[in-house]
Amino acid sequence: MGRVLLVCRLAARDLRRRPTEAVLLLLAIMAATTTLTLGLVLRGVIDKPYQSTREATDGPDVIAALFPRIGGGVDPAEVKALTDAPGVVAYSGPYPVAGAVLEANGRTVVAQAQGRDTAVAQVDQPKPTKGGWVRPGGLVLEAAFAEALDISPGDRVTLKPIDVAASGTQPSVQGRGPGRSFRVAGVAVTAATPPYPEPACLANLCQGDADTGVVWLTRKEALSLYPQRDSFIDVWNLKLADPATAPAFAAERNPPPDAPEGARGSGPPPPLLEAWQDIRDASANLVDNQRRALLTGAWLLAFLAVASVAVLVGGRMADQLRRVGLLKAVGGTPGLIAAVLLAEYVAVALVAAAAGLMVGSLTAPLLTEASAGLLGSAGPRTVTLSTIGLVTALALAVAVAATLVPAVRAARTSTVLALADSARPPRRTGWLIALSAHLPVPLLLGLRVAARRPRRTVLAVVSIAITVSGIVAALAAHADLDGSNGVSADRMDQVLLVITITLIALAAVNAIFVTWATALDARRSSALARALGATPQQVSAGLSAAQVLPALAGALLGIPGGLELIAVADPDAATPSPPLWQLLAVVPGTVLVIAGLTVIPARIGARRPTAQILQSELA
Amino acid sequence: MNTGDSPLRVGPVLRAHGLEKEYGQGAGLVRALDGVDLEVASGETLAVMGPSGCGKSTLLHLLGGLERPSAGEVWLEGRRIDRVSEKALARVRRRAIGFVFQAFHLMDELTAVENVEMPALLAGRAPRAARRQAAELLEQVGLADRAEHLPSALSGGECQRVAIARALSNEPLVLLADEPTGNLDSAATLDVLRLLDSLRSAGQTLLIVTHDDRIAATADRLISMRDGAFVEETRLTHGTTGPLSELAGLEG
Amino acid sequence: MPEAVRVSSKEPSSGYQLRVVQEVLLALLAKEASHGYQLRARLQLALGPLAEALNAGHVYVTLNRLEKAGFVSSKRIGQADRPDRKVYELTAAGRARVMEWLEDTSWPKPAPAEFHLKLVAAAAAGLADPVRLVDMQRHELLAGLAAAQRAALAEPDGSVAGLLLEGVVLRLQADLRWLEACARHWNDTKGRS
Repeated sequence: MGRVLLVCRLAARDLRRRPTEAVLLLLAIMAATTTLTLGLVLRGVIDKPYQSTREATDGPDVIAALFPRIGGGVDPAEVKALTDAPGVVAYSGPYPVAGAVLEANGRTVVAQAQGRDTAVAQVDQPKPTKGGWVRPGGLVLEAAFAEALDISPGDRVTLKPIDVAASGTQPSVQGRGPGRSFRVAGVAVTAATPPYPEPACLANLCQGDADTGVVWLTRKEALSLYPQRDSFIDVWNLKLADPATAPAFAAERNPPPDAPEGARGSGPPPPLLEAWQDIRDASANLVDNQRRALLTGAWLLAFLAVASVAVLVGGRMADQLRRVGLLKAVGGTPGLIAAVLLAEYVAVALVAAAAGLMVGSLTAPLLTEASAGLLGSAGPRTVTLSTIGLVTALALAVAVAATLVPAVRAARTSTVLALADSARPPRRTGWLIALSAHLPVPLLLGLRVAARRPRRTVLAVVSIAITVSGIVAALAAHADLDGSNGVSADRMDQVLLVITITLIALAAVNAIFVTWATALDARRSSALARALGATPQQVSAGLSAAQVLPALAGALLGIPGGLELIAVADPDAATPSPPLWQLLAVVPGTVLVIAGLTVIPARIGARRPTAQILQSELA
Repeated sequence: MNTGDSPLRVGPVLRAHGLEKEYGQGAGLVRALDGVDLEVASGETLAVMGPSGCGKSTLLHLLGGLERPSAGEVWLEGRRIDRVSEKALARVRRRAIGFVFQAFHLMDELTAVENVEMPALLAGRAPRAARRQAAELLEQVGLADRAEHLPSALSGGECQRVAIARALSNEPLVLLADEPTGNLDSAATLDVLRLLDSLRSAGQTLLIVTHDDRIAATADRLISMRDGAFVEETRLTHGTTGPLSELAGLEG
Repeated sequence: MPEAVRVSSKEPSSGYQLRVVQEVLLALLAKEASHGYQLRARLQLALGPLAEALNAGHVYVTLNRLEKAGFVSSKRIGQADRPDRKVYELTAAGRARVMEWLEDTSWPKPAPAEFHLKLVAAAAAGLADPVRLVDMQRHELLAGLAAAQRAALAEPDGSVAGLLLEGVVLRLQADLRWLEACARHWNDTKGRS
């Protein structure tokens, strides 16, 4: 017990001695923990709104798409097999579904048109949030779809059939003919298909890859889109006695996943069934992008925090050496010593975890307003035990990763050396020294300063590389979003912005701190250089160069890093990449920012009175 | 080396007039130098002695442009250097002044020859020329075989001799040494002593601040300081062996 | 302000300390009989630059004295009274005297008393500043140190004469250290009063 108390007391006292550093450590780790909390808390944010929508619209447990025979309609035997299946308590349909081209507000988009009755259906009756239900000449759009297109009830839109012949060769889908003009009768939510901008999918039959929406119109007007009946698929909505069995029900009747596609033979393809759980999960894709961005951001910030903490810790370990020597001299075991050294950082990490959890859960509601396409909000987010565990683990991992090696090294140093408190001697890199002799004076000084502490220089390169990777990935994601409308796109932009700003802020603080630490560490050699004839301008330029050169290296590494990151984070999307001018601007931008940040600490470092420094270094 | 016979160098190399230096203010005011006048002729070796705190190191720093005086003037080769900008001072230090410190102040991560070539590189000389000259200087101080050694592998005396070689790198008008043997044992002190004596014979202008009697005895002229002012000055010219025999106990 | 420059104004004194020369000549003769000029050469070797003042006359005068005292005996080689032709030899008494001298451990005494009392008196009577007196004396000794050191540095490595000069230097250094202590003490006293 006494040992634990001793460890705690020593740790607390040391933290109190350097409050600024403790706060910096805290902020660095907190950035990572907050982002991770947000990312984890967004899991399942769709569940409640989807449930509300399902209840309000009598959402189906299973949706079935039945294919027409050639030249005719759907085989009634197939229908019977579904509606009379054991477990089915109610059903509605058939509703004819086909693709169409919607022209509205000057925009042309692809939609999935479903023919409906004006009367209320038993299963799956979309609920209008604005206006009313379908009527002759009146079209209803899915709520998120309408919001993205900026359409309200009363607006005029045109619906055209898809020109298959032309569309086959051209990249974008074309409509055929003049189409038919409709008035928007209303805007509704449904649980049968995920909301826009998820592609309009009914029973896993999706209209296009993205940015397609669902529209409902009267059965007669839907059927008039195409002359042949077999252009339409029939959709049936089923309700089961036990909704939980929906996936099993669908799996039994779906063709096996590895069945070859072309093995249809002469008849139509078998029906496709989808369970409501799959629709719900597909709806979750809405926030999936945001979640992925936040989780990726959390990882980046965690690595950045490790680099920042490592720099801070590395400098402090040198000062701690004497304490270590004293502890050893009075009989402390290496284990105790390592405990004392780690205790401070573990304490800071735990506080950062708690703070991150708190801030994350409090700000989560800002991100969890799900979509216009689902009813209700996600409700207050509760922080689950697993979230707490993961966030704490991350914070501890950061602290341990950054401090383990220096702590062990300090604990293993022989007592005599530790008591003598000989400062860490600078490392010698022969080829760098030889190279620097050929460079102008500021670069000569800067390169040699950076080479004295290779570990710190590498950490600086790494932290800039991480930050630039994050920025490049965010720019790519933003470019990918460009043109998308709607709440979730805006939300995604906000998330990207916040992550980018946090990365930059952390990296900036890191840069200033590293410059300051370097200037302090190099004050003797700076004073000496001035005594030997370097001007203060040359010395401060050198101190800046010692930061700018690693930043340049980091920025160059960060560009491919960022492109790789976005490919890994979003594997399904085609690898987006930011516009070339943005990519080209990142490197000089980073260099300029770092140069600007480091100018002031470098100047201060170069202007200290020479004589005092040299005098105070008397052996 | 700068021999003093050039017709252009008639006046003193280094001249100071009314030098004063104060630190702190109010009740904590410390008068480090209290109106000091000094002249160093070309090729002369001047030693300044005094107890610790008498201001001799401060005097050296002011003469070398490492600090600015509170009052007074410093003239180096006919040009005033106490009021110029830091940038110009740096240039002066590059060309005209060589510094040797008590703590050597060698860069730990550079080899001896890399340390010696530093001032030349800072002055903008080509790397190869600087390296060649550094090797020559190391030979001059008798450390040619230690050129590739790090300071940690050199003894104290060898380190100080490397530092002296570095100070000679830009062929300075005057070499300023602040307690050059303060951190050395007696054997190393003798090595440095011999080196300073050889520099003196070669005509280098030296100004040495020291508390070591033997180092002071290499000078042409000796000044004692106390409480920021000069109190005693002696010309230590070549004496005859007459008095020497007396000191040795042969006469009397 | 610095005082007027002081130059060492001591003239070399007229004669070498005879006792020292006597003893050393006896010791040099212990190995074998020698001519006067040989003895002189060996003395010069041992004394190096300090042997400048040692002229031929010194050696022969001393040898004569020693002969009169019965410590050496001389034989004439060749003719005439030219000093070079005499060969000198130790007598038994001379040999005894040499051993006595070699085993004598008496050492020249350090004698700080006079200077010490000088400072005390100056302070007590208020006639002069003891610190100033110390500074003046220090400079005087330093001039001697400078001369001895220069001569020492000029000697080749391992030279026997160099050892002698090193001895002078080190003794002077010791004296200077004491003077430093005196200066500190009298400075503090001044500060306290």
